[in-house]
Amino acid sequence: MAKPKLITLSLCVALLFGAAACGPSLVIQDVDYTQPIESVLAPDSNLEVHDQRYAVKFNISPILEEEGVSSVDEIRLIRNRAGFYFLTASGFSNVYVFKTAESELNLQTIIEIPHGELGQPAFNQRNGNIELVDLASGDSYSLNQDGLR
Amino acid sequence: MKKFMNKTISTLAALLFVASTTVVAQQSDYQVQQDFRADYRALVSGLDAAESSDEIASIIDEINELEAEYSGYSDLLDNALFPDTFEERIEDLRSRLNISRENISIIEDLNQRISELESEIAEFRDRLAQLDEEATATAERLQRSAANERRLSGLVSQYRQNLENRDAFVSELLEGLLNRYEAMDAETQSEIRDAAESLEDDPLALLETIISGYINQADRDAGLDASDYVRMRAQHGYFVNVWDRVGERMANAYASDRPVQARQEITDLLAAWEASVNNKLWNSLSTAFNQNGIELPQFTSDDSFNNALNAFVDRATDIAREQNEEADFELYNSFNNYWNNTVKAQWGEYLIAGNILSQGDIAAIDIKLSTWGQDAAPTSNLMFILFLISLAVIIGLIVLLVTKKS
Repeated sequence: MAKPKLITLSLCVALLFGAAACGPSLVIQDVDYTQPIESVLAPDSNLEVHDQRYAVKFNISPILEEEGVSSVDEIRLIRNRAGFYFLTASGFSNVYVFKTAESELNLQTIIEIPHGELGQPAFNQRNGNIELVDLASGDSYSLNQDGLR
Repeated sequence: MKKFMNKTISTLAALLFVASTTVVAQQSDYQVQQDFRADYRALVSGLDAAESSDEIASIIDEINELEAEYSGYSDLLDNALFPDTFEERIEDLRSRLNISRENISIIEDLNQRISELESEIAEFRDRLAQLDEEATATAERLQRSAANERRLSGLVSQYRQNLENRDAFVSELLEGLLNRYEAMDAETQSEIRDAAESLEDDPLALLETIISGYINQADRDAGLDASDYVRMRAQHGYFVNVWDRVGERMANAYASDRPVQARQEITDLLAAWEASVNNKLWNSLSTAFNQNGIELPQFTSDDSFNNALNAFVDRATDIAREQNEEADFELYNSFNNYWNNTVKAQWGEYLIAGNILSQGDIAAIDIKLSTWGQDAAPTSNLMFILFLISLAVIIGLIVLLVTKKS
């Protein structure tokens, strides 16, 4: 009784490998998604932001809801080498890190700012990490998709 | 003590380093590129609006400062300005700078020319006004002093001299116009057109003033004679010739919004001037010929004057051929003398320049005059008398021979 089960399992595994071998398997390694300078984007009346230069457009309502604010004048967006988007705004207490999916931005991490609300935030690319500076307070932080470094 | 000092210096250096890194850390790359873009736009606007070499010199310094200030961010700016680069933006500013510098040099040159032209026109107007004033004063004195013949003659000479001075001055001005505008290329014409908009007084207005002065001069009754009016026509002819050569260019340059109208205004004034001169010219010419015993048929135009001269010479030649009287020869002598010594010698150049008579017209009269001279010369009877004497001698000899034989 155990033998047929083993055979069936082996067949399934073989089938799985076979299917995987027949499907697309091309993977390009070491893609650099670095956006050299942050984008400063003003939301429209529908709370949509559109970065024409880097060709990305999305609605920030869920983020505002998450952050507990009703509106912002502008958001600051930057993408690191690995392709994660970092988003924050003046008045936010967090930096939101998103990874891309098909027609989606999925929240990867919420990075809480140790000194509380950001006054005048700005993102920079620094040595492979994202640097967050608060020009109002003079604080600066080094970030990656996993959080503060 | 030394150890304490070293420790303090090291601490201070460390603090300074931390402070400086903090300052560097607080920089926003986005803000750097925004500031660069703003500075770049300000310089572009400054270059577009620059109107003097001083402003350009100041912008050169600002471009150098911009380059020095942002050269440390060139990689960042290359990314931010893509597809442009920091280097290209600086080059672009320098290229715009050169264009602005050239434009300003043209503008400054143009302003210089406008200012020169304005002072030149003002100078011409002053001199013209002075000449007109002198001529008017002499003319008024002429009208007041009718009694004293010698004084009158002196005043007429002075008035004539005034007019000749004015003519010489205007001719000089016309010569200048010819030199300046006859070979004027389209580019210069366009430059002048731009500059003319800021001219308070322009050469076309000056020409109108000059012609109006000539019309007043011709209308004034100031004891002038045929020679003066013939000279006026010559001056008119020269003026028309110059205007034909430069009028279109001048009108396009100084009255670009209404060139045809501006040109026509001057052409009309020239016609009015000619009419004013002609009002006096034909009568004065007729009088001058009459005073020398030459009664020409009536004439009121250039052609009819030429016809009158030809008709007079033709008729006198016919009469001389038919009658061959002493009076005919005297009339011939009188006309020949006046024609050669006054009309041709003194007025010839003016008659041709004023288009009153052409070179051909004068030559035709000369030829006719030669025929008239031959026909009017008294015929000699000496040959006839000698023939009769010879005939009588022959008859006498024949009679003598016949008588001797018989």
